[in-house]
Amino acid sequence: MPARFARPAPETDEGGLWAIMDREERRLRRSPFALRDAKLRAYVQEIACKLAGEHCPDVRVHLVRAPLFNASMAPNGMMQVWTGLMLRVDNEAQLAAVLGHEIGHFLQRHTLERLRDAKARSAFGQFIGLFGVVGALAQVGALAGMFAFGQEHEREADTIGTTLMRNAGYDPNEAWKVWANLVLEIRARPGGESASPLFATHPPAAERQEALIALARDAAGGATNEAAWGEHVAPYRHEWLTEEVKRGVPEESLALLTRLKERSPKVAAYAWARGEVYRLRAGEDDLDRALEDYRAALAAGGEPPEAHRGIGLVHRTRRQAAEAKASFARYLEAAPQAPDFAMIKSYLEELSL
Amino acid sequence: MRLLPIAPLLVLILALLAGCATVTKVETGEQAVGARLVVSLEGPWNRIDAPGMGPAQVWTMEGLPVDQLLVYPGIKNGELVHASTGGSAKTFAFRSSMQPHEIVAMFEGMMTRDGSQFKLARLEPASFGGGKGFRFEYSVTRRSDSALLSGVAYGVVSEGELYAMLYHAPRLTFFPRHRGRVEQMARSAQLRAADAAALKASSGGGKRDCMRNPVTGMWTGC
Amino acid sequence: MRRSLVAMTLVAGIAFAPAFARAQSMNLAPGFSNLPKDATVVLMPADIELFSLSAGGVPEPKADWTEAAARHFRQALLAHNQKLGLRTVEVSEDAADELAEVNTLHAAVAQAIAVHHFGPLKLPTKEGKLDWSLSDAVAPVKKATGARYALFSWVRDSYASAERKAAMIALAVLGVGVAGGQQVAYASLVDLETGRVVWFNRMARAGGDLREAQPAAETVGSLLYGFPVAK
Repeated sequence: MPARFARPAPETDEGGLWAIMDREERRLRRSPFALRDAKLRAYVQEIACKLAGEHCPDVRVHLVRAPLFNASMAPNGMMQVWTGLMLRVDNEAQLAAVLGHEIGHFLQRHTLERLRDAKARSAFGQFIGLFGVVGALAQVGALAGMFAFGQEHEREADTIGTTLMRNAGYDPNEAWKVWANLVLEIRARPGGESASPLFATHPPAAERQEALIALARDAAGGATNEAAWGEHVAPYRHEWLTEEVKRGVPEESLALLTRLKERSPKVAAYAWARGEVYRLRAGEDDLDRALEDYRAALAAGGEPPEAHRGIGLVHRTRRQAAEAKASFARYLEAAPQAPDFAMIKSYLEELSL
Repeated sequence: MRLLPIAPLLVLILALLAGCATVTKVETGEQAVGARLVVSLEGPWNRIDAPGMGPAQVWTMEGLPVDQLLVYPGIKNGELVHASTGGSAKTFAFRSSMQPHEIVAMFEGMMTRDGSQFKLARLEPASFGGGKGFRFEYSVTRRSDSALLSGVAYGVVSEGELYAMLYHAPRLTFFPRHRGRVEQMARSAQLRAADAAALKASSGGGKRDCMRNPVTGMWTGC
Repeated sequence: MRRSLVAMTLVAGIAFAPAFARAQSMNLAPGFSNLPKDATVVLMPADIELFSLSAGGVPEPKADWTEAAARHFRQALLAHNQKLGLRTVEVSEDAADELAEVNTLHAAVAQAIAVHHFGPLKLPTKEGKLDWSLSDAVAPVKKATGARYALFSWVRDSYASAERKAAMIALAVLGVGVAGGQQVAYASLVDLETGRVVWFNRMARAGGDLREAQPAAETVGSLLYGFPVAK
């Protein structure tokens, strides 16, 4: 591990870069897109700290509301974790894999090198944009290709990340799974894998997965802390799933939600969310699939009230009044404060006429 | 590279540079918007026109960067609810079969194309234009400048066409300042008959027959 | 993207009338003529962005220039206010975090003023007056700073350079029809008791340089030309 970085003098080019990053960090702190939950932030900060070892005091975690898989770390220590990433990792160890990888870039000053290179290529401003509160999510995909770390840097970061994981007591064998899961989503995209915004600055290659598996082989064992992870993100799961459904990319969402549902059949929210995607896509057989998923959510127990609404809306579309009424009634009972309470109530009343 | 969806403001500025954007005063009193929609104003508004702004009329009190009233004067089945942008950006078209939930989702999609975030606060049935319509309240976090906006909207589907009003402004000061007039305007809205044959036989073709009783929640005269 | 739109509108506004030929009343809210002698003014953190223009006229944000510009601008502003005999306070970074929403709100209002009061898209309901107010949204600023007025400023400044072209989607339109560098800016004075924008000035010109201390002072002088201080 290199020694802690001293703040560079302001006149140096590195000093200038830190100042710029400080400015972006200020903007991020003030942005309504930042997720300010103290408990969740502290939890992720603690994980990052364990990984960073003696660099812990220099790492500052910021959670950002954005439904894409992304985490980044700037040379001044500002670390961003997007909610899309937190939805997709299965446990602490997988998050640690990503954060450890980012810290690896940070320790080896890869980002600094990329910044200098970007400056030379007159593309500096755009690269800085990737560290800010991203102007438009669509840009992330477009720009990611231009600023991806080279294979050498990725390998280094993976190696360091694995070491950091091991030292912090996490199971390094979780790392390759993160990328494998993402590839599933990318492949589901109609039109193929090119320029998916999901990967931000780290397009994974098959070799990386194999390398990660190999690195983990010598360091078997370690914690995943899946239960702790589940406990901490549970309050946000519904919100993040809603955002995922709203992305309007059904094929990718189905790949993700199918994986999540099959992995955790007892979590009603995953079944419900997949049901929503089917219902909204409304392709051939989709309404049947939606009903199946909503019912699975009910069977699992602890289902979101919206599962009843979903069933009601499907039956209503099919003019099955009795079933629709029953489900709408259950929705109203379960969610008296729902924003669309009055609307669903009027559907119910119409069906009674 | 994919083009970002063009916001009305950008279209406006381009038109401005080309010398073809105009502002018109919308006077107090009865105002027709399109062929059928008529609203009654208690005070004047400003209407911005520029080629390529999309199917809605755009009105404002404080200026487009602050508040926007989008008035949709009859969107047909299959028609986009925003300016067409070309490129591969997702588009949002109205379908006559849409239910209120779906119409809200359509507007939500339209408003979040640029990465802004939308949250529905309330959706309820409401009389609009003399028909069985709906009203919704929402909040928007604008991506371009992180502004926090509040919004209120009314809509109705009549003869397969969508008539709607959407108003949003910063939740601080401006939305509270103007929302009352927007609500009043929406309550005053009427839809003229599409043709003579559709005129109701009752007194002078009164359009207020279809009403929802706010106490009992029952619809009558529809 | 929104900031670049203001820049374009300010430029467009200038195409219709030169900056300094406007009557003084365009810059003042109705009924307001000047600040009282001992008024306290809080300097809100300036929103500054500098760009370099490639050979093709496409602007690229220059974060390191912006850093220097922010420093020079602040110094020049403090010196200017001192010369006018104003009591100036600044906002701490922590306090600025709390005031983010008000800042954002003001920025939107300032854009509206730039587009619809100084630009050719006048709003008939405003009747040609500088008539915009944030009302009690500014109360937290008053509470945090104890000031009576707040001065907001915004600068977008581009410099021609020989660098290779870099494509910036949202800002590509800024380069349309613009030869050489452009400096566009506004300054806005808000009465923290009422929330009214009482004085507003905007500037668009070729020239000016915020990267050095002396020219930065000149830029501030131009931007605050006609600042309504009691004689």
